[in-house]
Amino acid sequence: MRNKLSWFAVPYVVWMAVIVVIPILIMVVYAFTAGGSGGGGLQITAENFTGMSVYASVFLRSFRLALIATLICLLIGYPVSYWMAHEGPGFQRVAMALIMLPMWMNFLLRTYSWMSILENNGLLNQLFQNIGVIALYNQIAPFFVDIRNVFAAHFGGAQIGFVPIEHFQMINTPGAVVLGMVYNYLPFMILPIYSVIVKLDHSLLEAARDLGADRRLVFRKVIFPLSLPGVLSGVTMVFVPSVSTFAISRLLGGGTQMMLGDLIEQQFLGGAYDPHLGAAISMVMMVIVVVCMVVMNHFGEGEEQAVIL
Amino acid sequence: MRKHDRTGSRLIIGLMFLFLYAPILLLMIFSFNAGDSSAVWKGFSLHWYGKLFQNRLIMESVYTTLLVSLLATAIATAAGTFAAIGLYSLGRRKRDALLTVNNIPMMNADIVTGVSLCLFFVAFFQSWGAFAKWFNALELSLGGHALQLPERLVLGFGTLLLAHVAFNIPYVILNVAPKLRQMDRNLMDAAQDLGCTWMQAFWKVMLPEIKPGIVSGALIAFTMSIDDFIISYFTAGSASSTLAMTIYGMTKKRVTPEINAVSTLLFLSVLVLLVISNVKEARQESRERQGAARRTTAMERLAQKISEPRYKWVRRTAAGALACVFIASVSILSYATSSRPVVNVCSWGEYIDEDLIDQFEETTGIRVNYQTAESNEALYSLLKSGGADYDVIVPSDYMIGRLIAEDMLEPLDYSQIPNSSLIDDRFRHLPYDPDDRYTVPYTWGTLGIIYNTSMVDGEIDSWSALYDDANAGNVLLINNSRDALGIALLYLGFSVNTTDEDEIRQAYALIEDANRRGVFQGRAMDEVFQKMEGNNAAIATYYAGDCVTMMYNNEDLAFVIPKEGSNWFLDAMCMLKDAPHQKEAYMWMDFIASTDANLANMHYIGYASPNREALERYPDYYLEQEGEELDPEIYDIMVAPPETLERCEAYLNLPSATLSLYNSLWTQLGTN
Repeated sequence: MRNKLSWFAVPYVVWMAVIVVIPILIMVVYAFTAGGSGGGGLQITAENFTGMSVYASVFLRSFRLALIATLICLLIGYPVSYWMAHEGPGFQRVAMALIMLPMWMNFLLRTYSWMSILENNGLLNQLFQNIGVIALYNQIAPFFVDIRNVFAAHFGGAQIGFVPIEHFQMINTPGAVVLGMVYNYLPFMILPIYSVIVKLDHSLLEAARDLGADRRLVFRKVIFPLSLPGVLSGVTMVFVPSVSTFAISRLLGGGTQMMLGDLIEQQFLGGAYDPHLGAAISMVMMVIVVVCMVVMNHFGEGEEQAVIL
Repeated sequence: MRKHDRTGSRLIIGLMFLFLYAPILLLMIFSFNAGDSSAVWKGFSLHWYGKLFQNRLIMESVYTTLLVSLLATAIATAAGTFAAIGLYSLGRRKRDALLTVNNIPMMNADIVTGVSLCLFFVAFFQSWGAFAKWFNALELSLGGHALQLPERLVLGFGTLLLAHVAFNIPYVILNVAPKLRQMDRNLMDAAQDLGCTWMQAFWKVMLPEIKPGIVSGALIAFTMSIDDFIISYFTAGSASSTLAMTIYGMTKKRVTPEINAVSTLLFLSVLVLLVISNVKEARQESRERQGAARRTTAMERLAQKISEPRYKWVRRTAAGALACVFIASVSILSYATSSRPVVNVCSWGEYIDEDLIDQFEETTGIRVNYQTAESNEALYSLLKSGGADYDVIVPSDYMIGRLIAEDMLEPLDYSQIPNSSLIDDRFRHLPYDPDDRYTVPYTWGTLGIIYNTSMVDGEIDSWSALYDDANAGNVLLINNSRDALGIALLYLGFSVNTTDEDEIRQAYALIEDANRRGVFQGRAMDEVFQKMEGNNAAIATYYAGDCVTMMYNNEDLAFVIPKEGSNWFLDAMCMLKDAPHQKEAYMWMDFIASTDANLANMHYIGYASPNREALERYPDYYLEQEGEELDPEIYDIMVAPPETLERCEAYLNLPSATLSLYNSLWTQLGTN
């Protein structure tokens, strides 16, 4: 049966060779050349890569924020999928539909909407104002500032004064960008985890319990390892788009939190038109991501083997 | 066996849904706003829903979006599932290598995928063209006429669909793969040993096992298709555009509330569909439970039924029907675009009174394929990749200079555009096109400061306000290197077109210093509407016509062109080199250059017209349309008086060395 089935892969391999590999090769050519647009022919160069250290801070920020967003997605997504898988079938159906539904509204529109919620004079700040959270903060915070200043006086730190706030600064912060990522990509974490957990073989769980494992042990030794393939899929599907997003950081970060996606977008569509540099940056980004994924998948495969044995 | 309390978990799931739905609810509420702002509520109205159905661009893009997404999802789901099954029957080493290649499109930035696919398609079309020419010539020389291959292929619905299928398949595989890993490999063998044919085993054993993965893969593929903008932009050609492309095209100016309305409608219809199917399933389930039947989902039952041999014809018909729908829709689309004379126009979102398109089509019988781009640079990028076969484009002055310098525009025959004689002398012989050979001006305007009088002390009359600590945290920096650095150059007393590196670096230092001191709240382009209208920022720089819109939504806002002078800009219609529909393009340009069209556009867009008569008649036209006098102050903002315009300088195309300095400085600003 194996040999017969493997024929299924042939058309796809051909398709990949044409529609995935050739365009990638075109981009590799772009990354290793310069000029062309401003007159003159293409020259082969590695300059696009050697000059990239300037953008180290952007690389670091992108990977850091994407990693945080992925972790938060996992922390929310795993328990939610787990609980959902243990609800009745009606609940599950409705919940799954409700999780997918927001994604069918344009991504840009939803992000705009978040903007008006997080704005300095936005919905959330107005709510805080009206229920007195901001006034409360202005009353309590000086006390903590005083305590801090007392310590600072002891240990030789600088004294800081307290300036009452009019609003919480939420928009244009790294936090807002992470929130945007979590919001947009959370369903991509929940879906694969849920679809794995819901299909878990219950006899395995019963066997583990019969052998004396308590609930925590069952989860740690049986459920979690078995759900790892779903987790890996989910992590990939959240982390990758987070690293290369540009709309989220532009709208919720106000351009102050430049990410790799913004950098690349600027080279192709923005004021800084240099497709060669853009291609080079995205090549580097891709290589880093691929390495991360290969390491992670390796780890995942090991788990699978352990379970089967 | 364990009946622990579920209140806690349900509470958390509920909170998560609140998080997911809060912004959507807000968006839906604002689709009922009487005003056109997404920050200021002006009362309940169904106005935008009414307008929506007259908006052909949006309705057509909704249709294209649904067609592309559904077809791409269906194809990608089937192909991806089979590919995943195939991959999983390979040895582990081969499988892992192939899966890594499979993941590449997902790991790549969308924009890179888009550009590379575009380059690939264009290269393919070129070689196909050469092949077709050779083939046709060969056939003719042999005396045959039976099969003439088309020599000129262009990007269009077909390439759009291919691109969508291409980026959807990896997601399907990624979702099906874990289910295949989970499945016991011996199950299929067992089924076949027990007498199933391979097909039966597949339908009855394998498919139900991996079904959740297929379903979630299909859902994600559909979502990706619906949301994708950038890959579509580079592969859709000039005839079709998706809803996401239309929305992004609007970001050069602003996203209209009609988009909120159409999104609300789509959202609600999907919701209704889901509710209906859920209720049906729940009913069926309870009926079956009474009959003590095994609980299965509708899909599973369907799959089981269909897999019975006597339903073979159902399977075949279904496959046939799908193929027919596909072929029909593709051929209808190509028919629609080929049977009538057409003109392909690319402009900016919200940059034309759409009634004009209908008028033109009615009077001439020419179909207008109207597309929008996000920015001059995005348009340039598409043109450079070879992915556009537009006839008419509407770039801005400096970009026109660049396109002329790179020989990408067609010299115009003005005898075919009689209305071009109505262009005011002020807009003739401008530096980017000194001999008036390539352009017909479309709109013009100025760049100035818009500020909130309730948040700023006193009146602003200088660019210094943008860099002043007194406004710390309240200033929006315009998110466009040319404008941001241009303003700084003006403030320092230099020309906006300087090529002196030292002057440009001084301008950059000014911005960077202000940035470090925390004067800027952030950078903004079209977001400026929401921020200024909602009192979220006090000072911003933007274009005069749009500032009028903002002032209408927030009475505290004021507009000024600072004393140091400013930039004035002009967008003009141009024809691309070797445009395929030149006759139609001339008719379109002449129609748009007419006084009536200029009046309608000026009223709709808010930007000034270059047409002499239109400029004079606009106040009367306004009175006629709105039933009230036009405030002369507003007219002066829209149409800067000559003495103000004297202070303003237009952008020229900069030499490439200066452009790359701009680029590297602008990129640097974000990395600090």
